Amino acid sequence: MHTFTLETTEHGGAPETRMNASAQPDLSIRLEQVGHRFGTRKVFSGIDLAVAAGQVCTVTGPNGSGKSTLLRIVAGLIAPVEGTVSVTVNGQVQSAGDRRNYLGYVSPDLTLYRELSAAENLQFFGRLRGITLTRDDLIERLTQVGLRGRGRDLVGTYSSGMRQRLKYAFALLADPPILLLDEPTANLDVSGIAIVETIVAAQRSRPEGGLAIIATNEPRELEWGDMTVRVDAEA
Amino acid sequence: MTTFDQTAVTRVSWWQQAFALLRKDLKAELRTKVAISSVGIFTFASLLLLGLATAALKEVPTIKLLGLTYPISFDTLVGKQQPAWDSPSKMGMLWVLFCFAAFAGLAHSFVHEEETNTVAALRLSMAPGAVYTGKLLFNLIVLFAIMAVVTPVYIAMTGMTIGSPLVFLTVMLSGGIGLAATATIIAALAAKAQGTGALYGALGLPLLLVFLMLLMNAAATVYVVNAPTLRIVKDVGGLFSFGVLIISMSGMLFHFVWEE
Amino acid sequence: MATTERRSGTAAAQTATETALQGAWWKWGTGLVMCFVIYGAFFIAGGAVGFGKTGDIARIVFFHVPGAILQSVSYAVAACYALVYLFKTHPPRKAAEIDARSAIAMELGFVFCALATITGSIFAGMQWDSYWNWDPREISIVIMLLLYASYLVLRAAMAGRPEQRAKLSAVYALVALVPAQYLTWAITRIVPSTMHPKNPLFEKESLSLSYKIVLYASFLAFTLLYCWMSQLRFRAFKVRTLIEGKRG
Repeated sequence: MHTFTLETTEHGGAPETRMNASAQPDLSIRLEQVGHRFGTRKVFSGIDLAVAAGQVCTVTGPNGSGKSTLLRIVAGLIAPVEGTVSVTVNGQVQSAGDRRNYLGYVSPDLTLYRELSAAENLQFFGRLRGITLTRDDLIERLTQVGLRGRGRDLVGTYSSGMRQRLKYAFALLADPPILLLDEPTANLDVSGIAIVETIVAAQRSRPEGGLAIIATNEPRELEWGDMTVRVDAEA
Repeated sequence: MTTFDQTAVTRVSWWQQAFALLRKDLKAELRTKVAISSVGIFTFASLLLLGLATAALKEVPTIKLLGLTYPISFDTLVGKQQPAWDSPSKMGMLWVLFCFAAFAGLAHSFVHEEETNTVAALRLSMAPGAVYTGKLLFNLIVLFAIMAVVTPVYIAMTGMTIGSPLVFLTVMLSGGIGLAATATIIAALAAKAQGTGALYGALGLPLLLVFLMLLMNAAATVYVVNAPTLRIVKDVGGLFSFGVLIISMSGMLFHFVWEE
Repeated sequence: MATTERRSGTAAAQTATETALQGAWWKWGTGLVMCFVIYGAFFIAGGAVGFGKTGDIARIVFFHVPGAILQSVSYAVAACYALVYLFKTHPPRKAAEIDARSAIAMELGFVFCALATITGSIFAGMQWDSYWNWDPREISIVIMLLLYASYLVLRAAMAGRPEQRAKLSAVYALVALVPAQYLTWAITRIVPSTMHPKNPLFEKESLSLSYKIVLYASFLAFTLLYCWMSQLRFRAFKVRTLIEGKRG
């Protein structure tokens, strides 16, 4: 039986942020009794979760417990076998297809086009969201993730750490209100980790409201969360 | 600070997304040249083989027996039977060539995405319908490019006549659309099934056979002198309808293939 | 997890048919009718006009035509189940059942299509002294056979991933519906002439009464046989699911 514990830990989130969180019901994510199964293999069940604007939720659990699957379910990439997922943006519950307009997603299995340069990748994905990136925009975004000056290089020539940074640039393209990060600091060096921490903090204090769900086992990243969901493997 | 407004996300239309995907695919293709080169080499190799194999064939007159056309192919001089290597047959052979070429190269667009796992990024950014449209357009462009290059070479090599030019062009266009449409949806299915290239061929074969039958029928019309318009519309329309129906069905069903 | 099944019209009809088909009585009946058909094909029915010298070749029609018709019907059944699978949401167990029904219909379509192809070829050999003639009807039925085979290949390639297999094979069945319709209806009308006998079955004068009796009996027998085979296959599927459920 998959057990699930919700611990709400208070971390130095400013009181104003928390007050803003309750004043903005039009951005939230709520999971009710969500469960999933691959064929006959049960991954998890009975997950309940509520994240509001200004909050960061961390998801943790042993390898193979389904943290990534849970994130994919929230992103609308997989439909859960049990339970309901309500992602509310602008006061409206978004369907799985519409949800993706408001998400930024970073994950180890996300890959960008290796035969294109970083700039071309960002331009392409930007165009898909109706965002035209000028040269200055590109420079600014690449600088934000510490890839300044490497925009013209093909992603195929990037190291794994650089690819991870580019994924953040991709995720932040449309300035999404929801960030879903799966193993956020995988392959990153110290400066990369600092960048991610900045991004998460900026997401929490996003003026129009923002939240993040992070799947990780790293203790340092677990500290970033206001609440933790633990997905336990079968005892 | 109360209402939340997502101004960065504008509702992008399908066509814009599809064209963006098309541009990306063309850019990547021109850079890596994978699909074009594999299709091109394969097609020209087949062309050479075909030329070699059919070098000895000659055009022969035909008669109608029991409603079917048979070649009067007994060559009294040599004392042997000759097969009927007339223009409709040459057109059929050309299209067999294109079918193989299509199945050599048009799967690349989907298989590449699936293999390098860029599908996730696309799924997060695009509507499924736009993905299908973009990939279909890409395959259409690649196929028409191949056709534009190969057809003149083939005509020069085999001496195929064009018959009535307008009908010929319509047949080639309709055939191209049908072939590209079939190849696209089968590529999407086979890529998702993570099968080998053999699966792609196995799935596509029945559809291609029907397509070829319709095409041969339309090809025969091209060479009928002063064909009545009704007949042309019937035969070429039959071929064109295949492509249209495949595109319609694929459009409605694609998102079941694309989404998990 | 408990699922409340809403009994829509079709579901009610399905369960009604299932209860009606529970017993063995109709299978005994099928066996009897089929025996009658086989016996009658050779001893009761007279020959038909226009088939070979004595009209005896027409006896294969009792086995050829039901096969061809059932194959087409079977595909339609599979396509319907595929549509229902894709376009309505179902609880997982129900979804697996619908997918199974679709696959079973395609498998039986393959079997009956093979029957039609082989009997057709035998007929061609008797009537025109050659087993294969590149006739449009012959080509159509063989392509149809290939279509069923491709469907089965696709399912075999995804044996380990049941949900994806269900979805993709449903999509393939529906996409392949387009060429299937061309094969069934269009090809034989597009190509100017075919060797296939026109439609003697619908001309009342050319068939003797004894022939018609055996013919209609054969339609009945094969249809019942189809239902029986379909039910067996579905039961096998349910048993397999049960076993796997207990094991997993």
